[in-house]
Amino acid sequence: MYGGLRGIELAGILLVALAGFILPHLLPGYFLYTGNMLLTYAILAIGLDLLLGRTGQFAFAHIAFFGIGIYGTALLESRVGIPFVLAMPIAACIAGAIGFLIGFPAARLKAVYLALATYAFAECAQWVFRTWDPVTGGPDGLRFPPPVIFGYQTGTDRSAFPVVAIILALVLAATLYLTKSKLGRHMCAIRDSEHVAAVSGIDVRRVKVIAFTVSAVFAGIAGGTYTLFQSFINADVLGAAQLVTVLTMIVIGGSGSIIGVLFGVVVIGLLPEVLRAMPQSLLVWQEFVYGAILVAAIVFMPQGLWGLVKPRLEARRAPKPARVAEAIRTQPKVSL
Amino acid sequence: MFLQAVLSGIVMGCVYALIALSLVLIYKSTDVVNFAAGEFVMIAGYAGLFLLDWFHLNYAVMVVLAIVLVAVFGALFERTALNRIIGFKYNAEAALVPMVVATIGLSFVLKGVVRVIPSTEEVLRLPPLFGGPPVFLGDLVLQRQDIGIVVVAVLVMVALSLGFNFTATGKALRATSQNPRAAALIGIPVRRMRMLAWGLASALAGISGILLSPKLLMTPDMGSVVMLGIAASIIGGFTSLVGCVVGGIVLGVVQNLVGIFLSPQAIAVTPFFIIMLVLVVRPNGLFGEAMRLKKV
Repeated sequence: MYGGLRGIELAGILLVALAGFILPHLLPGYFLYTGNMLLTYAILAIGLDLLLGRTGQFAFAHIAFFGIGIYGTALLESRVGIPFVLAMPIAACIAGAIGFLIGFPAARLKAVYLALATYAFAECAQWVFRTWDPVTGGPDGLRFPPPVIFGYQTGTDRSAFPVVAIILALVLAATLYLTKSKLGRHMCAIRDSEHVAAVSGIDVRRVKVIAFTVSAVFAGIAGGTYTLFQSFINADVLGAAQLVTVLTMIVIGGSGSIIGVLFGVVVIGLLPEVLRAMPQSLLVWQEFVYGAILVAAIVFMPQGLWGLVKPRLEARRAPKPARVAEAIRTQPKVSL
Repeated sequence: MFLQAVLSGIVMGCVYALIALSLVLIYKSTDVVNFAAGEFVMIAGYAGLFLLDWFHLNYAVMVVLAIVLVAVFGALFERTALNRIIGFKYNAEAALVPMVVATIGLSFVLKGVVRVIPSTEEVLRLPPLFGGPPVFLGDLVLQRQDIGIVVVAVLVMVALSLGFNFTATGKALRATSQNPRAAALIGIPVRRMRMLAWGLASALAGISGILLSPKLLMTPDMGSVVMLGIAASIIGGFTSLVGCVVGGIVLGVVQNLVGIFLSPQAIAVTPFFIIMLVLVVRPNGLFGEAMRLKKV
């Protein structure tokens, strides 16, 4: 461990959990639905960023693990009768196990090849969700009852919000610990240069497989939280469009940084809501505007929003030149 | 039945091969997969249709105009968007993720533009290049437009291979893709070559759009055909132009056979399954060179 959580990080996590308890009393229902979606997207995006931004693996399979998390949690609850508190971790572990298996062939592939192979896996998984009638309900989808957590009934946006917020807070804490650990450092080393990492004695393949597994577990958890405020799932929700949404959240926000990713989740997550508020006659332009914003954002800030903000913050925090000069001047002289 | 399936698979395979060529050209020059290639195909089809319907142009003029339009658009996109993302780096690999997102954004833009035009809500069909009664070869039936597709595709491929091997520009393009830094050192305008490659690749996508639109139903979502192009190029190894052609034809035939012998439902998932299988078993494809190490 290279240092625990800093005060400001702990405060942020507590703030997320606290917001989960306060906001349901203040906001109208639709806002809470959007809020739940944003929190779920945040878990998804943070999990994918572990691969994309931390380990530098351009993997696309995330939405499949999200689907496994949703179907897994829902089926374990409704068919097997396992309570949510156990069903979600089990589903997340199943997602993790599949991520682990994917990790071995994926660790051999690089850049575009990896992206295409994992994207193909996501499409195959969606096809399975759509055609495996007896289990997933096929194209008609699957209905499931709202989970009960230790007697606390969820299912509405208002009742689910605190639980989703707490889960996100836990995921944030886990991610922060992970990125500060030795493993997190190894991931960054692989991102910056695989060869140098290997030469420094890092088991590149092992770290990559772990990254795939952890990222899949996070996606599985996101799937579990999805069942808290939705009562229906169908394969259309698990397609390339959602994958692209999560990817753009990370890239627009700023990959490799938790704050950046959360930034991106809020901006991209709210963008469709803002566009929907456009005048009726302009509504047909929605898709065009979304794409144009995406291209413009990438072209003008390839490092994402956080890439714009961060250097300025650091510049302010860094010691001013005058102060440095002063410190050097007043330094006690060392006599030889 | 079997031979017929193989035959029509070859026809579709030729179109997939053209899309695959477009993708590989771009990959070789810019190190990015152009996820908007399918939308270039769609735009060419719609542009052709509207040129015919609204301006009553001659078919041949329409074909040329539609292809030039898509080519210019592709080159402009490279110049304005991707060039900025890559910056002045000669190695584009580092900018992979932002570039992929940019092409995805572009695909939204193009789909959005087409959706705004009111008449695109219904399914449209572009008149084929060659009409007329089908040709019978024994038991096999061959549409005239299918023959046209194969002929055009083969002509394009021959022209490409001649261009790459015997013209100075073609050689400069190859040099740029092999080593941009060295190419710049010997005086090849690398950025202009990249733009040219995008223009050429977009023209290829445009040609396949003109060929494909009479055969498929035209909707703003027909850009998903890009996955077939990607599958074809993956089979071929993603860096080999010959591989693209073989990959496209293999894919077309396999898809048809899956439809007959397994289930029609499985056709949609075939290209993805093939992508996965090939990348896991043989990451360099059938014709691909070994992946080069570009950065240490």
